Amino acid sequence: MTPRLVFDAAAGLAILFACVMVVHRHPVKSVLALVVSFFALAVTYVLLAAPLIAAVQVIVYAGAILVLFLFVLMLLNVPEEARQSSDRPIHQALSAGGIVAFAAALLAVLRGYGATQAAPSVAPSPGDLAPVAKLLFSDHLLSFEALSILLLAALVGAFVLARREGSP
Amino acid sequence: MTANGIPIGDVLLASAALFVIGLAGALLRRNAISIFLSIELMMNAANLTVLGYAAALHSLEGQIVVFFVIAIAAAEAAVGLAIFVALFRHTETIDVNQINLLKW
Amino acid sequence: MSAADVGILALRVLAPVLVILIVLPMLQWVERRGAGLIQDRPGPNRVGPFGLLQPLADVVKFFMKEDLVPSHADRFLYVLAPGLAAFAALTTFAVIPYGATLTVRGRAIPLVGADVSIGVLYLFALTSLSVYGIVLAGWSSNNKFSLIGGIRSSAQIISYELPMTTAAAGVVLATGSFRLTDVVAMQSGSWLSLPLRGWTVVPQFLGFIVFFVSAFAETNRLPFDLPEAEAELVAGYHTEYSAMKFAMFYMAEYINVVVASALMVTLYFGGWTFPGFTPTNGAGVLLSVVIFALKTAFFVWVFMWVRWTLPRFRYDQLLRLGWKVLLPLALLNLFWVAALVLWKVL
Repeated sequence: MTPRLVFDAAAGLAILFACVMVVHRHPVKSVLALVVSFFALAVTYVLLAAPLIAAVQVIVYAGAILVLFLFVLMLLNVPEEARQSSDRPIHQALSAGGIVAFAAALLAVLRGYGATQAAPSVAPSPGDLAPVAKLLFSDHLLSFEALSILLLAALVGAFVLARREGSP
Repeated sequence: MTANGIPIGDVLLASAALFVIGLAGALLRRNAISIFLSIELMMNAANLTVLGYAAALHSLEGQIVVFFVIAIAAAEAAVGLAIFVALFRHTETIDVNQINLLKW
Repeated sequence: MSAADVGILALRVLAPVLVILIVLPMLQWVERRGAGLIQDRPGPNRVGPFGLLQPLADVVKFFMKEDLVPSHADRFLYVLAPGLAAFAALTTFAVIPYGATLTVRGRAIPLVGADVSIGVLYLFALTSLSVYGIVLAGWSSNNKFSLIGGIRSSAQIISYELPMTTAAAGVVLATGSFRLTDVVAMQSGSWLSLPLRGWTVVPQFLGFIVFFVSAFAETNRLPFDLPEAEAELVAGYHTEYSAMKFAMFYMAEYINVVVASALMVTLYFGGWTFPGFTPTNGAGVLLSVVIFALKTAFFVWVFMWVRWTLPRFRYDQLLRLGWKVLLPLALLNLFWVAALVLWKVL
């Protein structure tokens, strides 16, 4: 059970459920597929020696942001997307063509990327929290505090945008 | 190059696949929420790339970057959903092809 | 990893889970007899001596009831939801240390499922996931009362996650590590060092109070159980559930109570340690497990005691308490602990 095998399995799961999310017509099922995908991604983050980010991913992304999506979908009773042909088929054809071209270009760039460089012989580590925390609160303290102001602005903005007219 | 025992090619391939799937969802879906979810998926693909290289180059700055990206994504999701709620209340539809109020 | 390693790992992880699942019916008996005791009535006393076979009768009843799925309910999510709730509750126990390190033939076996470096964060990640079980149950039942109950319950859980994590952040600050075994090790001082190097509840009493109250809200127990209030919402998010699926929700609630008690014991009351007690051999380790079990049992009893004593909070009072009272208190506690750590007292 090498780390590479576990990573491939987790990444494969993430990709599979991402496909389910994109294909499924019902938005609630889409969100749930994305939750599983994010969970699988958190597993890959652990394997990449970033346990703090894995925990933050599950707590914030899968556990708060997607719950917010679910709440909005459930309270607004967003309907299932009807399977109808688009009234702008040229848009869909161009999009599909563009995506295929982009994927091909990406694959061409990534093929063999980094395969020629020698691997440094350092044993894989599980990752540590203390160094990241030290960095966050010393070199990146300004960004951290600015982030808190950003979150406050987002909070106030969301509140103002979603209220009904005339209510406090 | 290996990222903590995993060849960087694996990480890049997974991240590219996720990004392309997210792109397909963003371009081909008609439901505003689904487009939003696909964009979140693309952001996660980018996070995976950054973490892969952070592990490969033994730098912790990558984890700091991803930390901030996740927090900013939370802020963005809150505001985006607030916009969506306001729009839905007004137009009663979520089909982005129908929401064309600013078209001349 | 050899086969023996895998076997030992499986035992370490499964032992507390199996113990909880076996103890669950007894907890139900304790709850019902305890309720009778507090309300000055006998409680169940027909089935077996002192009503001891009542949980067995309940299990038989659950198996025999008709297991139905409402016609317009979303079948997949309807069946998934109770499983998710129980899963999130049980996996939380994987990181809680329930005993000292057992040394068998030169092999040191720490009595904890997985001693991850992000122990405390893992717990909160799973709390976030438990919200999904409830909100999916409420929505997939295709019933207005279920949906309102589900949304209320998940809003309550999310709101009370904040004071709970901030109170736990105080403990992490005092320990200097997220690992739960480190948290327990920090609290294992001798009698002389009790006020500061002992149980965290003493220097961080405010944090403990906040955590204690938040734990009630997180597990949907009275006085915070309006989302499943019988008088208001029929039965909240599990209105449409019957037989085994309802039993699974019921189980998940009790497992949540046990896990919350175990968490309180680990973070604030020293886990398996006792001042002046250092386990050296197998008997010592067994004693440490018994100490942990007794402390957890005490808090489970407190959960039940409070349930039958206090009246229910109204929903807006509940949310106001969480956001306007507990969160500022938890932040105050965090400042206090930070000051103590800064002045090298802790």
